[in-house]
Amino acid sequence: MGQEFRDIVMSRIKREVMLTTLAKGTRYDERTFDQFRKIEIQKGVLKSADGSALVSIGGTKVLASVKFDIATPFSDRPKEGVLITNAELLPTASPSFETGPPDENSIEFARVVDRAIRSAECVDLESFFIEDGKVLSLFIDLYVLDHTGNFIDAGTLAATAALTNAKIPKLEGVKIIRGEYTGPLVPRALPISTTLCKVGDHWLVDPSRDEELVQDCRITIATTDKHVCAIQKGKGRLSKAEFLNSVDIAFKRGNDIRSMLG
Amino acid sequence: MNGRKVILPGDKVTNGKVSMPGCFAEGDSTFAAVMGMMDEEGRFIPLEKRYRPAMDDAVVGMITDVRHAGYDVELNLPNVGFIPSRDMRTKLELGDFVVCKIREVTEVGDVDLSDVRRLPKGKVVAFPPAKVPRLIGKKLSMINMIKESVGDLLVGNNGYIWISEKADIPLAIKAITMVDEGAHFSGLTDRVAALFGKEKKGE
Amino acid sequence: MDKTKLLVDGKRLDGRTAEELRNVRIETGVLHEADGSAYIEWGKNKILCGIYGPRECIPRFEASPYHALIKCRYMMSPFASLEEHSRSGPSRRSTELSKVIREVFENLIMAEKYPNTQIDIYLDVLQADGGTRTASITVAAVALANAGIPMRDMVSAVAVGKAGGELLVDLGKEEDNFGESDTPIAFAARSKDILLIQMDGLLTREEIEKAIGMAEGAETKLHEIQADSLKRHYESAGEKKFEM
Repeated sequence: MGQEFRDIVMSRIKREVMLTTLAKGTRYDERTFDQFRKIEIQKGVLKSADGSALVSIGGTKVLASVKFDIATPFSDRPKEGVLITNAELLPTASPSFETGPPDENSIEFARVVDRAIRSAECVDLESFFIEDGKVLSLFIDLYVLDHTGNFIDAGTLAATAALTNAKIPKLEGVKIIRGEYTGPLVPRALPISTTLCKVGDHWLVDPSRDEELVQDCRITIATTDKHVCAIQKGKGRLSKAEFLNSVDIAFKRGNDIRSMLG
Repeated sequence: MNGRKVILPGDKVTNGKVSMPGCFAEGDSTFAAVMGMMDEEGRFIPLEKRYRPAMDDAVVGMITDVRHAGYDVELNLPNVGFIPSRDMRTKLELGDFVVCKIREVTEVGDVDLSDVRRLPKGKVVAFPPAKVPRLIGKKLSMINMIKESVGDLLVGNNGYIWISEKADIPLAIKAITMVDEGAHFSGLTDRVAALFGKEKKGE
Repeated sequence: MDKTKLLVDGKRLDGRTAEELRNVRIETGVLHEADGSAYIEWGKNKILCGIYGPRECIPRFEASPYHALIKCRYMMSPFASLEEHSRSGPSRRSTELSKVIREVFENLIMAEKYPNTQIDIYLDVLQADGGTRTASITVAAVALANAGIPMRDMVSAVAVGKAGGELLVDLGKEEDNFGESDTPIAFAARSKDILLIQMDGLLTREEIEKAIGMAEGAETKLHEIQADSLKRHYESAGEKKFEM
């Protein structure tokens, strides 16, 4: 019997049982439907990076590293720096993560966080221009260390926090002097993502692993204080009203979490 | 903590070749293979994380494969268990939860199962097998107290706990977590009792 | 080559004595999902180890009916270097290190207790500053003990290098730049058997013997640090705190 078929059948049963609890207005971990788990942010955890942060949401932990290099700009944007976001789902983080090249989940994760940061124009890429053919490149690496649900929100928060911790390296001509900096990178915006999932008729903010395994629909919305800067719908479907309601919740939760960044 | 020394893998436990759980003999001494502590009688008590199957244990499992010959059942063991079709009068389905008895444990840790009973719909949570006695309590005192307030649940010796769909699942999880985190410390029974007292008052 | 003196009045560039280790801190049981885990900070190295297993062997045809298969994956993150950002994915170096680290633990893990299964050792270097393989072995032993996987012994590892004409335990990055030889060694704690030894550069027979003695001394200290970490974790009722 195929593994995928097995997973579908088993999640159907888990879903039915969870619905019984959700019908009483609570979740397995006693959160309300619109509550995040406990969030913790540690900044500056990597000396090898130019900025870093370790974020945990509940038991989920994501490490973000921000590192500068020198690069050739893209031919269609010759005066702009280069921003590259990568993600790894470490096999140590979950029995469901396998060794090997990035799979579709890890690629989606990296691209969603990248979208949020790029759209919010956190970083002034034009300020990374050095001379013709040479710009600063900024690598954001996201490492999921421990997965108990919703690494996307943990990753976005870790990336944003790492950017607030980042410093611009000193240059000597077109070389970076490692370990020396001109000043902080002050992000122009602080995008926060909020992911909601639907189980039966109930929308749940910040899905735990249990909830992710049985979700019928997932949507991630990244916000700055006044704008939506990224949206990614995962599996499933939702009505316009449900979508707009999710946007409202994303703004509320986004503002709460942004105030934790200090 | 009572200041007893924590034993590491490779530490000598006693002279002579003695058969103790979690130990092995080498030369003319016995050594620990896993972390543990010595009790007052000089016996090695392994700090078991994983489930060590024993004859007559009652275990909770989940059916993970259905084949003509029988069913694979996940029991929190390194290897998956097997229930031959001919042992079951009713058919089992993928994802079903079952409770069964361990009839025999082979040298390499494979288990022979008997008295397989299908459980009604519910949620299974994983709990450290070593702390199961604490969750059950002296003469079932702890588990009965929990069941009174929460509803129907079944604790497997393998650390899998089945909670009935009809029970108060979040409260059950809270009580189970409390025992897990507080198993070492005194006053656990009072704290768990307070949990239910509090809930009853609607706090 | 530079005639810099790396040992002046018994003190090295960073103030250590010839036999002294950099600062080592180990936290046990830091991850929720893994069966066992530990995190080490050794000087500026930061390495996370997660253990899964014994669990079903995949692919099934690799399984042995006599013992568990031990697998080890050592990986360097692209942001780990204090220099530039590197490429993700395995390199030839990480492939070799995965192999030699696995071979250390194949000596210790009582794999015959778990036929038809696999045990995975995952090592992720989050920040690197020289000596990642010895730090990896040291932290993996703790993670395996945390996972309750039966082992015949504990193990720790340290590298003894020759730099500026002196034998020095646990070379720092700067000292390594003047390095003439580097010898990582792992000793089993109880039997004192050598479970890993590699070497590059040039050493005389006397120097090798001296280096091994220095490693043994350093590893006695490392063993205490491992034991202390495991004990503290047990006493805190297994709380999972991960601070980098």
